[in-house]
Amino acid sequence: MTTATGTRTLSLRETGPAERGTRPEEVVIALSPAFGDPFTKTIVDVPHAEVIRQLLAGVEEQGGVARLIKVYRTADLAAIAHFGAKLSGSGIAVGILARGTTVIHQRDLARLSNLELFPQAPLLDAEVFRMIGANAAQYAQSRSPRPVPTRNDQMARPRWQAKAALLHLKEFECIDHARAAVEVEPVITRVD
Amino acid sequence: MTSDVTDLTPADYPLSINRPELLRTPTGKALADITMAAVVSGEVTNEDLRVTPETLVLQGRIAESMGRRQLGENCRRAAEMTAIPDAEVLAMYNALRPNASTAAQMEEIAARLEGTYSATTCAALVREAAQVYAARNLLAEES
Amino acid sequence: MTAVEPRPQTSEVRPSKRTEVLENRPVNLDGFVEEWPEKGLVAMESDFDPQPSVRVEDGRIVELDGRTRDRFDFMDTFIADHAIDVDTCEAAMATPSVEIARMLVDPRASRADVVALGRGLTPAKILDVVKLMNVVEIMMGIQKTRSRRTPANQAHSTSAKDNPIQVAADAAEGAVRGFAELETTLGVVRYAPLVAIGLQVGGQVGRGGVLTQCALEEATELDLGMRGITAYAETISIYGTESVFVDGDDTPWSKAFLASAYASRGIKMRFTSGTGSEVQMGNAEGRSMLYLEIRCILMAKGAGVQGLQNGSISCIGVPGAVPGGIRAVAAENLVASWMDLECASGNDQSFSHSAMRRTSRLLPQMLPGTDFVCSGYSAVPNKDNMFAGSNLDTEDYDDWNTIQRDMQVDGGLRHVREDVILQVRNKAARALQAVFAELDLPAITDEEVEAATYADSSDDYPDRDVLADLEGARSVMERGVTGLDLVKALERSGFGDVAENYLQVLRQRVSGDLLQTAAIFTGDFVPLAAINDANDYAGPGTGYRLTGERWEQLKKLRHVTSAENPEEEVV
Repeated sequence: MTTATGTRTLSLRETGPAERGTRPEEVVIALSPAFGDPFTKTIVDVPHAEVIRQLLAGVEEQGGVARLIKVYRTADLAAIAHFGAKLSGSGIAVGILARGTTVIHQRDLARLSNLELFPQAPLLDAEVFRMIGANAAQYAQSRSPRPVPTRNDQMARPRWQAKAALLHLKEFECIDHARAAVEVEPVITRVD
Repeated sequence: MTSDVTDLTPADYPLSINRPELLRTPTGKALADITMAAVVSGEVTNEDLRVTPETLVLQGRIAESMGRRQLGENCRRAAEMTAIPDAEVLAMYNALRPNASTAAQMEEIAARLEGTYSATTCAALVREAAQVYAARNLLAEES
Repeated sequence: MTAVEPRPQTSEVRPSKRTEVLENRPVNLDGFVEEWPEKGLVAMESDFDPQPSVRVEDGRIVELDGRTRDRFDFMDTFIADHAIDVDTCEAAMATPSVEIARMLVDPRASRADVVALGRGLTPAKILDVVKLMNVVEIMMGIQKTRSRRTPANQAHSTSAKDNPIQVAADAAEGAVRGFAELETTLGVVRYAPLVAIGLQVGGQVGRGGVLTQCALEEATELDLGMRGITAYAETISIYGTESVFVDGDDTPWSKAFLASAYASRGIKMRFTSGTGSEVQMGNAEGRSMLYLEIRCILMAKGAGVQGLQNGSISCIGVPGAVPGGIRAVAAENLVASWMDLECASGNDQSFSHSAMRRTSRLLPQMLPGTDFVCSGYSAVPNKDNMFAGSNLDTEDYDDWNTIQRDMQVDGGLRHVREDVILQVRNKAARALQAVFAELDLPAITDEEVEAATYADSSDDYPDRDVLADLEGARSVMERGVTGLDLVKALERSGFGDVAENYLQVLRQRVSGDLLQTAAIFTGDFVPLAAINDANDYAGPGTGYRLTGERWEQLKKLRHVTSAENPEEEVV
């Protein structure tokens, strides 16, 4: 488990409609419909607060800036990330599902393509999320970072495949076709 | 694509052992002509190692004699396809994917199958697909 | 977090020592979930599946399982127009489900009769029938309806480093142990030509007539097949709902066209499907996993493909996590067999942390026998398995052989003496070394041949120059190297017997014999299909029986005390 001492909770404060950014070095972090609310942690119980904290820290340590948006009209990771990339001033976005599956995307790529994909959510911990943030910031600055080392675990299927399917179905239930994407500000509260 | 062998039964299978006299390579060689010596001398080429439309029809008949109607139909479509170059077979397959072709493009493929390759069964399959795709909104948008 | 880390303790209550023991059992690392039938997260018993019905007008099915033709999705249309026998369906559908279920079990009802009846049934009716059957009855049904009389087995031979020498050596060992088909795939796709060559050459060293396959995207897979570098294809995926099928960028018509394309080149092919794929992709349309899989099976039959790989396959974690899921997986193998298709019956993906669960998941296929008990037994250690691990791997060889001997059941493998295994591994590596030299590919050193002879996993081989290999792989494709070129290379370099085996496999394309249902090659190059080796099970004393020479082979294990001289072991 990766939970540090003390728990942090995340709330997402809506600040307005998601719009196209102008800062040439920004990274958009695009969240799926169930991220943060109603779900609060990934498939392996990494708190969403921790995911956001690490992603932001990763971006920041590379001298980048990040902006968060929440998407409601699709729960398809590629679509969420590609939508975020199109709004990003740099054209770079990190897309993330509530269960933790993550991708780094770029505006000019085909939707089903990507810069880096992390399909095995159960293997993503705080350290990996930090590296993902750092790499996204470097892509946004037109640098070529070494890809985050991929992990593999052939026993992930028996342990997590069905739970992943269940979480996927729940995320689908949170899709709201009538609701446009919004910009959000993360409020992370530490509960000791 | 006709054959004078109309009475094939399960007992004829495998053709390579029980009815080798019925089999020819696309260049007209017998199965027994495919020897290592012929390969080494260059008499047998890759072109010889393909199935002919006639043989596919025979295998289709055997399948049907076992009650496997659809496998027989597949062999008949395959017999028609032997004439189509590899790249074009793949291009046609790609054109049959969802939202890949307009109604007109599907009809073009069907007409080409029928006209250029006498592939009437394959053409019928493509026309049937075009109808279903139209009903299910799986045709490419006309530009 | 990895899959083998223990669960975090959630209870405040102090557990007993026994609970601690149980908590630490491997089975508790597996994932289990509650059913959610409304969303299709249910194995085979759901109130949301349709009721069986059929109506024919003017020689056409106009109603299928409660839907009229104007409301058909494309699966309904394809199944109604291609899979179901219009002339017999109304009579077949009128037969009570319990009657049909009993025919599947009762040895006095012949396979031919129950298969003929099956041709007229709709997906919901087939589901209605198999829902009446418990797992033993399902096994009885598989025993009777399996298409080929002689059961067989298929292996995965891959390498975590895509090392072609490893693939060749493990293919040779797999072939000599008894696998009738060998399948590979890649980490780095560009390596494919070299690894596929390694698989073919190694396979023909181990046992002449083994059939090989390289799982890739459709175009490259077909290309390698057309060149004669591989012998069959299997990764042609189909799905049970229209939306998931379209997400996979195909339709029943595109896949049917592809099936004919393979046959037109004389290449054996089967489709792949399995329970759980639709719900995994979030679009089960509220149907149970088995109902959707039965639609896939009928779609495959309608396309005229000779066989199907099913048994959940890469989604096994989904049915494996819900109640009755492994019963449903056995039922899908039964339906594929009953629909007269070759069935390569799963057991090919990592399934459980528990050795007991891995074995119990295997028995419904292994005990009755299927056309391929595993559609991928890992003939390499699971860490080298590029299909993400199998239910069984090289560590399980002796257990498998012992279960065959205990139960007097033929699972397609046998124990092979160490000297024979070392000999074929060494020869496979030398044959590949010669082929690479003949084709001007990056050299295989004697050190690598030595390593291949004694290796277990990819860690035991010297590293290859990957960039040079990839360049070589590119040149194989660019130069248009074919199977015949490989045959000539083997012949020229003193591996005449291997060359002859390979040529026999290529020659079969001309005859089309391997296109028939469940066709494999015997060691004497006799095509064995569900025609000349049709399953004739009709109750006790009939059908395939493990006797004679084959049973003598399977009595051998690594360590058996000699009866004649108990101070020694049988060799």
